[in-house]
Amino acid sequence: MSTTPVIEVERLNVKYGDFHAVKDLSFEVRRGELYALLGTNGAGKTSALETIEGHRTPSSGTVRAFGHSPRERREVRPRMGVMLQESGFSPDLTVRESVRLIGKLTQRVDDVDRVLDLVALTDRSGRKVAQLSGGEKRRLDFATAVYGTPELIFLDEPTTGLDIQSRDDLWATVDRLRENGATIVLTTHYLEEAQQRADRIGLMHQGTLHREGTVSELTRTLPAVIRFSLPAPAPALPLQAAVDGDRKVVIETFELQKDLHVLLRWAQDQAVELPDLEAGPTRLDDVFRTLSS
Amino acid sequence: MFPIAASELIQIFRNRLVLITSLIIPVAVCVFFVRQHETFAAIGSLGYIAAIVMFTVAAFGLYATAVTTLASRRQNLFLKRLRSTATGDASILAGLLLPVTVLALVQVAAILTALAVVASEPANVVLLVVAALATLTMMIGLALATAGLTNSPEHAQVTTLPVTLGVVAVASWVGVSGTEDLTLLKRLLPGGSATELIMNAWNGGVAVTDSLLLLAPTLGWVVIATALATRLFRWEPRR
Repeated sequence: MSTTPVIEVERLNVKYGDFHAVKDLSFEVRRGELYALLGTNGAGKTSALETIEGHRTPSSGTVRAFGHSPRERREVRPRMGVMLQESGFSPDLTVRESVRLIGKLTQRVDDVDRVLDLVALTDRSGRKVAQLSGGEKRRLDFATAVYGTPELIFLDEPTTGLDIQSRDDLWATVDRLRENGATIVLTTHYLEEAQQRADRIGLMHQGTLHREGTVSELTRTLPAVIRFSLPAPAPALPLQAAVDGDRKVVIETFELQKDLHVLLRWAQDQAVELPDLEAGPTRLDDVFRTLSS
Repeated sequence: MFPIAASELIQIFRNRLVLITSLIIPVAVCVFFVRQHETFAAIGSLGYIAAIVMFTVAAFGLYATAVTTLASRRQNLFLKRLRSTATGDASILAGLLLPVTVLALVQVAAILTALAVVASEPANVVLLVVAALATLTMMIGLALATAGLTNSPEHAQVTTLPVTLGVVAVASWVGVSGTEDLTLLKRLLPGGSATELIMNAWNGGVAVTDSLLLLAPTLGWVVIATALATRLFRWEPRR
């Protein structure tokens, strides 16, 4: 992965009348990385993404893609594939016609059959878009985004509505594109996808970028958690813990291994069973919940 | 532009409703006028029939279809999809409107040729062509402006009514009563001076220079419609 930025966003603001959707957003996406822009509903990530794609004019601030304004379509779009959040295909065109049309308009060169095969839509190629299922439309959308193997690909909630097999296939294709140097900008509500695949994550809330970093950078700021149910009566716990009315215990720790060892030893010494015992490092979900709360 | 135009043409011929409203109904109305040309020539003139035919095609075949197409493509986010490619906005609009415009031109040419064959030839074919092009340009401009006020294809059935009925009514009024009285009003109404121009081109008897002055109000409407379209046209549905 190179440190050369493909996307540079500096103090971006997007307003709709009185509503301030994106506030002073600054970040950059480096060549070859998968950058996930995550956020709560209404966090402003789609507004930010659409401005970076060139669909919206910033109220203030600058956005550069490959050193150009994203609104300079002739310079930028042949190098950029976009998978929109909603399909946007004409229902009366067939799958093949849709891919051929959008592919041609991107000014990239590819084989329509190859692309249809890539997203497992070969057997649907003669069908009208109106006859496709929601998942098939997402795959068609993905097909037009990766047509001609662009250098930069925007994936706006790419796996929403896809079954497990289609998700796996989509991510396998994304992995292959990344091996060839593609840069990916992702938004998703499936945090495990971002946790598994993103090189860096930006967390947006109420229009601003609250945190940014690798998964480990984001999660290390929060303690790991040990959870179990405590049978009554029980001796005093060896660690500081929160116990709710149902005797569910939560222990937060920055030293998971050491404290887990203390707990298990205490349980053994006191002959206490710890039903529903769970212990693990902080997940992205926890960071996300902290953000939204 | 041409790949978009080709895909639009495919869609027109696949969508029966569009095919009926943009092709069959205007042609059926025009065939009626041409068949009854003696009756309508007695009410107005052959130039009046030519104007009515032109505005029927321009209003129903071109204007209403263009508004419906743009509203539909915006509603299903196809416009947004097209804008995510390397194609510029002007090329996208030109590609979307080219097929209906060409179809309207072909319809007008065919029907006026039929009228010339069954009745009599126009006095000035070049002036008639200029009038036809000015009329269709005005209707395209009005279509772009109206599309900005139209949220969906269903909504287009309402938003297109004032212009479609208005221009046909103005063409009938000017065609039947002439422009001797209320001259300024008739010429300034959308379609008024275009109707007079078409009638002059078909019937003859008016100096070409006088007729060409009638282009000004028609092109004025093009300017007004374009200015309105620039302010009103939206590429995406309202949030």
